[in-house]
Amino acid sequence: MISKTLMAASTRPIILAILSRGEDYGYSIIQKVKDISGGNLEWTDGMIYPVLQRMEMDDLIASQWKLSGENRPRRYYTITGKGRKELSFELKGWRSVWQALNRFIEPVPAED
Amino acid sequence: MFDLEKAVKKWKKDLQRHEVFEDGLVADIELHLRDAYEAQRKTGLDEEAAFRKAVAQVGKADSIASEYDKNRLVKLDRHSPLRPARFMPALVWNYIKTALRVIRRQKAFSLINISGLAIGLAVCMLIVLWVADEWSFDRFHANAGRIYRVYRDESAAQAGSTSALTPPPMAAALKADFPDIIRATRFGYWRKPLVSFGEKKFNEENYRHADPDFFAMFTFPLLKGNPETVFADPYSVVLTESTAAKYFGKEDPMGKTLTVNNTYDVVVTGIMEDIPSNSSIRFELLSPFALLLKEFIGEDNNDNWGFNSFASYVMLADGLSSHDLDRKLDGYLKKYQDEDTDELALQPFTDIHLFSNLGHDIRGRGDIKYVWIFSVLAGFVLLIAAVNFMNLSTARSANRAKEVGLRKVVGAGRPQLIRQFFGESVLMAIFALIAALILLELLLPFFNSLSGKQLTSPWRSDPVLLLGFLGLALLTGLISGSYPALFLSSFQPIRILKGTMRSTAANPFFRKSLVIFQFSLSVFLIIGTIVISRQLSYIKSLDLGFDREHIIHLSIHGELHDKYDAIRERFLQNADVLHVTASMALPTDIQSSPGTPEWEGKDPDVKMEIKADFVDYDYFETFDIPLVEGRSFSKEYATDMETAFIVNEEAVRRMGLAKPAVGKRFGFWDIDGQIIGVMKDAHFQSLHHKIEPLVFKMFRPWLRRLYVKFRADNISGTLRSLEKTWNQMNLGYPFEYRFLDEDFEDLYRSEARLGSIFRSFAALAVFIACLGLFGLASFVAEQRTKEIGIRKVLGSSTLSIIALLNREFFRWVLIANLIAWPVAYFVMLQWIQKFAYRAKITLGIFVLSACIGLAVALVTVSVQTLKAARANPVDSLKHE
Repeated sequence: MISKTLMAASTRPIILAILSRGEDYGYSIIQKVKDISGGNLEWTDGMIYPVLQRMEMDDLIASQWKLSGENRPRRYYTITGKGRKELSFELKGWRSVWQALNRFIEPVPAED
Repeated sequence: MFDLEKAVKKWKKDLQRHEVFEDGLVADIELHLRDAYEAQRKTGLDEEAAFRKAVAQVGKADSIASEYDKNRLVKLDRHSPLRPARFMPALVWNYIKTALRVIRRQKAFSLINISGLAIGLAVCMLIVLWVADEWSFDRFHANAGRIYRVYRDESAAQAGSTSALTPPPMAAALKADFPDIIRATRFGYWRKPLVSFGEKKFNEENYRHADPDFFAMFTFPLLKGNPETVFADPYSVVLTESTAAKYFGKEDPMGKTLTVNNTYDVVVTGIMEDIPSNSSIRFELLSPFALLLKEFIGEDNNDNWGFNSFASYVMLADGLSSHDLDRKLDGYLKKYQDEDTDELALQPFTDIHLFSNLGHDIRGRGDIKYVWIFSVLAGFVLLIAAVNFMNLSTARSANRAKEVGLRKVVGAGRPQLIRQFFGESVLMAIFALIAALILLELLLPFFNSLSGKQLTSPWRSDPVLLLGFLGLALLTGLISGSYPALFLSSFQPIRILKGTMRSTAANPFFRKSLVIFQFSLSVFLIIGTIVISRQLSYIKSLDLGFDREHIIHLSIHGELHDKYDAIRERFLQNADVLHVTASMALPTDIQSSPGTPEWEGKDPDVKMEIKADFVDYDYFETFDIPLVEGRSFSKEYATDMETAFIVNEEAVRRMGLAKPAVGKRFGFWDIDGQIIGVMKDAHFQSLHHKIEPLVFKMFRPWLRRLYVKFRADNISGTLRSLEKTWNQMNLGYPFEYRFLDEDFEDLYRSEARLGSIFRSFAALAVFIACLGLFGLASFVAEQRTKEIGIRKVLGSSTLSIIALLNREFFRWVLIANLIAWPVAYFVMLQWIQKFAYRAKITLGIFVLSACIGLAVALVTVSVQTLKAARANPVDSLKHE
């Protein structure tokens, strides 16, 4: 389990990362998150839709209604150029946070 | 049995209770729910349990809705879902068309609105022009910042007394004693001389004398002649361009000779540009000061440190401050004259016009007080005009609510509407600016005669100023458009279009207090106008204690003085002439004489300042001044010429002489004489002053003014025959006279001017306040249309509705009066203190002003309320 704050902060980059691998729809995105994180990222499913709407408003992603394989209409989301830029920017941020964290928990060198 | 479709439907309904869930969004989540349901079923749960789990997985409708709601706020913030471009050229034309249509459709309203703003702008411009002119005084001199006037501080002798007049040797002595002073000049005159060129003869009022440094200090550009050498010879003169034209026409004036007082000649050595109207130093002819010494006051007076009769200007070296020099001047006069207790001080040249208040100062100066007062007034007028504009526009906004609603429905966001309304008010302001500039052209001549200036409209004089006015108009447009723009654009389309909109959102307190303020100002100005005009007519009606009607006076300078007796004899032969006499000074201009007189029983420590004049026989008879004791000067007493004094009652009172004062010893100017008569106190000075002690003595050599009193009938005939007599005598001077009563009117010229300025402003303020009231009345009437309709249906009469609507305005005007009265009372009390003799400020004035204000308000409001009250109730109610 991770904290609410961290979850809120990570939602958008995760969605962008998933969409950077190809178009996808809401339910599938949620499933992927659950699968990959091994259940550590517990999202309330419905909450993804306002986030997607907001990301679309911000021009990070675009959506389109399509018929899926099961002949069901689905809204498919794709990442935009702006979204890709945002993703790489976010990744840089997360990496530097991660590096900083790592450095502080490394064992203290002996001669110090 | 569990029915999935039913359950989903119920769940959807739950969702749709939140208005943020538009159909598309619901579909999104519904699909998700179904996916989740199927996934749960696959784990082996029964239908109902799987559905319950799926619903839980999707989450609470409330929290999802609140997330969507946040998005919606962001979206609103970014305007319509259509995302219109910031600027749409296609709409600009529509805006203009709408604006013009609004103006056209509401002609009366637009006219009032634009003209109100135009008048406000025009008045503001006038005042700005006037203030700019006052500030520009004397600043056109290149060295203006380095020139100082040296004045005497006489406070050691008399508290608070100063004098701009200095003795002839001072300028040169200062220049020699202080290396800081690099230039110095005297400036002054003695008497107005007669100047002639052949047959052309003029008494030159503006003939002045200055030292050669003059043209190096002041920027009076010479068109002809070399500024270094124009004054090389004492007998030279520099003329202004128009004076040169007066004497020589188109001929070249250089090197020509003018004759002064028929006795000596001066050669024209230079022609200068006419002096600009914003110059404190004024003259038409200028000769070297040396000439004045030679021909008028005697060259021995060049060293006379007691001869305080001329102005002295000095110029400091570049970059020096006057403070050091000011300190060094302490006790300077003692160096040259032991008994002189006066101190010298420097006054910046550019302070003379607005900041100077010295004794014997240049006439026609301005006053910084007025500059401030008028600046504030200009601001007020503009503010009021702008806020009225705002009020009127807002009041009319209800009419345009539908337009706003429709524009919003088809996609206009708030910013578009704000821009549109700003655009409209700026357009109106530009119309107002054009009207104001036209108005300015029309008002300038009137304003010039009022203010005694020669202002020109900004096109001609100053394009920068014009640009400033344009900016002012745009700013006014923006400010005055701000309220309607922000207010109108905040309308919610759904409420407008449903008809549930009531335009009550405007701040009524702001609106009301503004109207009350305007009316207070109007009432204040009305009271001021009445008080001033009453005081002026009081002054005019007051018995001054002497007769000034049908008396002309002529100057008898130069050779004329020697012919005084002959002139007098000839004039008296005229049957219409009653009296002829003469004196040194005009009655309006009798000055204090230095020293204290001696009298019988005087306490040696007592000092008394006394005004004195030298007169001829018949003086008291000419002015019809009664004597309360004794007699006037008479030829029958040989001693009258030598030792007789006539004093006024005030002098007797101040000296503490017991009655009879006649026969008491009295001495002045080292003459030991006696009082032969006591004249009744008369107001020779303006009524700003109390009557002061006065003494008259006969002394024929110093007579300078000749007075002729004639019969009231046939004035022009008498004047013609006097002129004929004058010309027959071949005196060599033109017959130039003035009526004495004009001189007395001049004493109150600034008050008369103030009176007419107040009158104009009062009219203006009342007009503008009416505009405000009109706006408010129309707003209120608009708002209460339905109420009025219902009242009429229920049987109210037109009259009772007018009464109902007017009652509120009545109250405001009354409040305005309550505010204005005390303020006006104290301000006018202050003003009237300037007069030693005052008309009473009575309650009647206030009541009258209140009535005027009330009547005007009533008429204004009734125009609007009558319309509302007479409207057919069917019209106002049918839309319900």
